[in-house]
Amino acid sequence: MGISKIVKDTLLIAWIKSYPDLRRNPLMLLLLAMISAIPLFFMLMFSSGGNVVVHGMIGAMVSSVAFAGVMSGIQDISWDRYVKIREMIVAMPVHPASYALGIALAPLLISIPSLVLFGAITAYLGFLSAEILLWVVAALLTVWATMSTMGFMISTYLFKASPMLLNNLSNLLGIGFIFIPPVYFSEAQLGSLSWISIIVPTSNVAGLIRSYSGLLPLSTEILIMRWVILIIMTLTFIVLISLKSKWRED
Amino acid sequence: MRAVESAGLSKVYHSRHDEEPVEALKGVSIDVEKGELFTLLGPNGAGKTTFLRIISTQLLPSGGDAQVLGHSVVNAPEEVRKHIAVVPQDVATYNNFTPWEYAYYFARLRGMNSADAKEKAEEALKAVDLSDLRNRVCQTLSGGEKRRAIIASVLSSDADVLMLDEPTSGLDAVARRGVWSALRELIGRGKTILLTTHMMEEAEMISDRLAIVNRGVVVACGRPDEIKALVKEKFRVVINGDFKPLSSYGETARLGDRNIVYLKSQDEAIDLLKDSLKMNLRAEASPVTLEDVFVRLVGGLNNNGNQ
Repeated sequence: MGISKIVKDTLLIAWIKSYPDLRRNPLMLLLLAMISAIPLFFMLMFSSGGNVVVHGMIGAMVSSVAFAGVMSGIQDISWDRYVKIREMIVAMPVHPASYALGIALAPLLISIPSLVLFGAITAYLGFLSAEILLWVVAALLTVWATMSTMGFMISTYLFKASPMLLNNLSNLLGIGFIFIPPVYFSEAQLGSLSWISIIVPTSNVAGLIRSYSGLLPLSTEILIMRWVILIIMTLTFIVLISLKSKWRED
Repeated sequence: MRAVESAGLSKVYHSRHDEEPVEALKGVSIDVEKGELFTLLGPNGAGKTTFLRIISTQLLPSGGDAQVLGHSVVNAPEEVRKHIAVVPQDVATYNNFTPWEYAYYFARLRGMNSADAKEKAEEALKAVDLSDLRNRVCQTLSGGEKRRAIIASVLSSDADVLMLDEPTSGLDAVARRGVWSALRELIGRGKTILLTTHMMEEAEMISDRLAIVNRGVVVACGRPDEIKALVKEKFRVVINGDFKPLSSYGETARLGDRNIVYLKSQDEAIDLLKDSLKMNLRAEASPVTLEDVFVRLVGGLNNNGNQ
């Protein structure tokens, strides 16, 4: 199968899995933006001073893409299995990579409006410039990849679990990875425990973006180490998926 | 070259626990000619879906192989997938999708350009009588309409071999006829259709040939009239009531207060009708149906699946 067909199918599946939902349920966009912004409201209520809003905005950006990643990897895959749409696609001339990438890309497309909104506010506050935009986008795409592959890995290894269980698991992971670690606030507040933020992909990326924005001073070595950890984590998930996943059942 | 050729196809499902492995298919060999509508008829758990899932490259067999238009489902699944389209059993819809989106996007996924996909989608929706509902989202459609939307996605595919697993289950009689008509129309256009069903009427009405499958083996295979010829009784008389000795006329099946007596000739059926009337019992004679034959063939199997 040619690369162009794989790419075309990826985009088509992403479109199929996002456009009809967006068109018929545009309030979903508001809901997603609000979910990402809720922790920020709490931070504004209980914290003051510093750059609480900017830290929160960066957290909301990371949250938007990370939540999209987990959701696609677990909920969308298990739902497709449940309604048997996946069976129809397996029997089509569609490459498994197109399906996986398309599924992962769809919620990312849905999260773009809220991402743009939070990014615009951050830029307005003076912490997101054109010079660092590429780094920020790269960091967000990487955490999306990490969280998507983590989700795919879970749905691959728990392929016999019910969609309801996987839905709950996906929501728990969303809360666990997005709301608990220092995603919405600076990891500097953790003091000697700040290393935790490096091993959790969402807070790792939030720290990277804060560093590029000038909110968190990190040495070049630490920056590189954070990128390496993130990439190794993603590759590990990909390897684990490839060991277990089967396009055709046996 | 045949559309589908399976040779000694077997499938064993192994449980993770200590349960016994389940032998779903035991060396099934079936040939489907190009341009025919072939039906796999069997009770629930007979192995029909397993067979269809193997042929449609969703599932690997434990033994044997099958060819679809000359391509091995085991070794060349990518080639097979270029020629087939599948409707799985109990497939559900995306609630926010419209029938038109089903037909159009699935055609696009098969590699059609936008213009061709639009044309095929229109044709498919017309075939399943969903043109008027083309832009209604699936969550507002009835169960039968949803199923027809899924079938439209297969009809729009322009695939050479269509595989449908119980495509009309849950449809009312009118909707079912609509699907049958669409399928027969596709046969008229040279497509091959392999479908599974447990509905005798469906199998008899639309199949060119059929195979009766039970407990993973093919019990009988042929045209509906050939299958019916497999039993020696050609007529049946349904009697509302009982009189002795009914069994002396022929083999009798009891359905509560009714009896079905199977007879070898028309004369025997007429004699029994006359005797029933003398007893003031309502009776009705007709040729045996596929269902009668099916029940006898399937019911006559022992646990090993042998006649």
